[in-house]
Amino acid sequence: MTSNLARAIPFILFVTFLCAAPFLFDDGTLHLATEMFVVIVIASMWNFLAGYAGLMSLGHQMYFGAGGYVLFMFANVTGLHPYVGILAAFGFGALAAAVVAPILFRLRDAYFAIASWVVAEAVSIAVQKTDALGGITGVSLVDSSSIDFDRFETQMFLIGGGMVLATLLGFVWLLRSKPGLAFMCVRDNELAAKSIGIDVWPSRFLAYVLSAAGCAAAGAVSLLGGLVVQPGNAFSPDWTVIMTFVVVVGGIGTLEGPILGTIIYYILRQLLTVVFPLSGTWYLVAMGSVAVATMLYSPKGLWPILRDRVGLDWLTVRRSI
Amino acid sequence: MNYVETLINGILLGGLYGILGLGLALVFGVMRVINVAHGEFIVGSAFSALMITSFFPGIDPLIAVIPVAAAAFVVGYLFQTILLNKVVRSGDMLAPMLVTFGVSIVVRNLMLAEFGSNPMALDAGRLAQMSFAVMGIHIGVLPLMTLAISIVLFGLLQYMINRTSFGQTVRATADNPDIVRLMGVDPRRIYAVVMGLAFVMASVAGVLLAMRTSFSASSGVDRILIAFEVVVLGGLGSFWGALIAGVLLGVVQLMSFQFDANSGLLYAHLLFLAFLIVRPNGLLGAK
Amino acid sequence: MKLVEVEALEVFYNDMQALFGVSFSLAERECLALVGANGAGKSTILRTLTGLNRKLKGRISFDGADISRTSAETIARAGIAMVPEGRMLFASLTVEENLLMGTRTKRAGNWTLKRVYDLFPVLLERRNQMATTLSGGQQQMVAIGRALMSNPRVLLCDEISLGLAPVVISQIYESFSIIRGEGMALVVVEQDIKRALSVADRMICLLKGQVTLEGDARSIDMDRLTAAYFGE
Repeated sequence: MTSNLARAIPFILFVTFLCAAPFLFDDGTLHLATEMFVVIVIASMWNFLAGYAGLMSLGHQMYFGAGGYVLFMFANVTGLHPYVGILAAFGFGALAAAVVAPILFRLRDAYFAIASWVVAEAVSIAVQKTDALGGITGVSLVDSSSIDFDRFETQMFLIGGGMVLATLLGFVWLLRSKPGLAFMCVRDNELAAKSIGIDVWPSRFLAYVLSAAGCAAAGAVSLLGGLVVQPGNAFSPDWTVIMTFVVVVGGIGTLEGPILGTIIYYILRQLLTVVFPLSGTWYLVAMGSVAVATMLYSPKGLWPILRDRVGLDWLTVRRSI
Repeated sequence: MNYVETLINGILLGGLYGILGLGLALVFGVMRVINVAHGEFIVGSAFSALMITSFFPGIDPLIAVIPVAAAAFVVGYLFQTILLNKVVRSGDMLAPMLVTFGVSIVVRNLMLAEFGSNPMALDAGRLAQMSFAVMGIHIGVLPLMTLAISIVLFGLLQYMINRTSFGQTVRATADNPDIVRLMGVDPRRIYAVVMGLAFVMASVAGVLLAMRTSFSASSGVDRILIAFEVVVLGGLGSFWGALIAGVLLGVVQLMSFQFDANSGLLYAHLLFLAFLIVRPNGLLGAK
Repeated sequence: MKLVEVEALEVFYNDMQALFGVSFSLAERECLALVGANGAGKSTILRTLTGLNRKLKGRISFDGADISRTSAETIARAGIAMVPEGRMLFASLTVEENLLMGTRTKRAGNWTLKRVYDLFPVLLERRNQMATTLSGGQQQMVAIGRALMSNPRVLLCDEISLGLAPVVISQIYESFSIIRGEGMALVVVEQDIKRALSVADRMICLLKGQVTLEGDARSIDMDRLTAAYFGE
């Protein structure tokens, strides 16, 4: 068992890295890193919902895209700096999830999953047909004068890194608290949890709303990076594909899993698109195959293997499935 | 008059939607698995039929259904045996579903890589143009045949499940896969046959659908969502419910095109969600 | 050579060990009673004999052949049938369909639908009813009938009397004499010792996964049995 100080080391290293990186790397690399941060965050959100609260959503791309739209609309309408819009996106994501949850919660397990996908598709179509939201072409920033483009990538990098820190530390805190234990009880055995007085609904609701808000904030950051939000990209189910791949391969139900999964995802992607120049579709074939193989032969993902082999035990609030 | 014709065409389309959902309902009823890749295999069947008709020009697509369906059974049987049987555990619905989700990504992107994302269509030839008029309403021959085929398929499936000894074995396996082993039945083989049958139905649905609308390698998402809505709306476990649900969705969709032309499946999705709020157990009740 | 021979059987459920070196045998046409308190391991033995639990060490042989690694489906077809604890009828099937499921082993023999209905006439009246709508005792009859329809050489009965009224239990136990008359070997697991001993030739008592007493059922010393049942 490692001590608390030893556990803090990776965080300290990460913060150091965040401070130093802008001086060491070019904008292109920083942009890639920001992308990775976004993936870590959304994967962590999906992992939290599926691995800890037991709800598998296939529709979280909806909140991701909504976050982007909210950020752009907010900036365009209020004239405030787009970075403020990230908070607006977080809030909107939470609100929207609070409205959607009662509908979706009427279904369980796999039905919940597909129904969440239906809702996401409906939203996607509806947005594409709404001229006020830019129709198929989407929305861009009306006034980008408040952005300092020299420092833009660095700032996005730092925001992204900050989000990762907030996510990890937030979950560590949450899962060690009483509500956190409640999550895990409900996931393990709903009947037993109810019998000891744990109310199922609030736990699941909280998890759903939190994960949606997190995805919305991450979506805001990601889409801001491209300076335009388009429905085809923003609401693409491929975001969910990334979330599930990263979590499944990294290790569902562990806090470290999404990080490991993201690293593997990007290594695989670089390998397949740069080293062997395969087109985008082929690397998705490869990714899907890796995910399926992992689910068949190592259903708990790769982090537990690494952890047990090497003896690392970093963020111990893990779940065992 | 226009609305009556739309209504009738919606019913005819609904028959097709019913078949889309039937395979999914069968697999779900027996194994409690939602095969997310069902949609992709529907599209894959359409591509297979397309390849057959382009290889043997002059062959009616309806004839092409036969080899496609035969191949579909084998693919489904192998799919279950090699992949899904490894993860089907009683009580756990999420793990198998995630596996099928992964497979759907692989299949979809394989099709994208092979065929690109351009819309395709199966030329049904003369059959697609034939129609007749009843009281001034035009009814297409192909859609009518499709409805007939779907009713026949539903009937056959219902008969098989309820009146044959194989159907007894399937129901028993669905009830209790452990105990059925005590009677010398290997549940994994039953699952494989059932999956094969589901794929056959998916292939028929895919080919028929391709004959009436265009499809592309990305159409799988729409297909699986419709199939799923049909299953849930019909009431999990009810076959005829699925047919009725399909008709309802078909009518709503075509009606919606009358006033909102480019809405895709939006109104079908909204109907589904509305039902979820009001009657979560579906039209004919849950199992 | 005995029909069933179990040697040094150790059985595991996940991380737990349920049986610690159990050995016994069953001869042709013999009726063996397996008694013991809850959790002693009686059902575990039956489940392992049928092949439903394959985490084991030791040896099980049936008719001379080693079945320790054989699948449940194959064992069923070889002639071992079980009436499972809690009956476990198929809820989507009628009474008659449940009985017919027994024939899936494709074994030849004397047990047909007609003979099962002769044995349990009440089932004939209810043959087209959904099996789980019957009373507890009638469901038990269906479960027994279903096992008989596979024409086994060994019939394993797991806690048949559980939850049934004494009158019903007597009725069912009376049918055993007919079943045995055909030459079937029987293993009867019961918590109710009197019942079990009333039909058995031999008896084994289990406690915490081990055999604590073995002997002739008709001449058993009740004090010794009580000690073996509850432990010291």
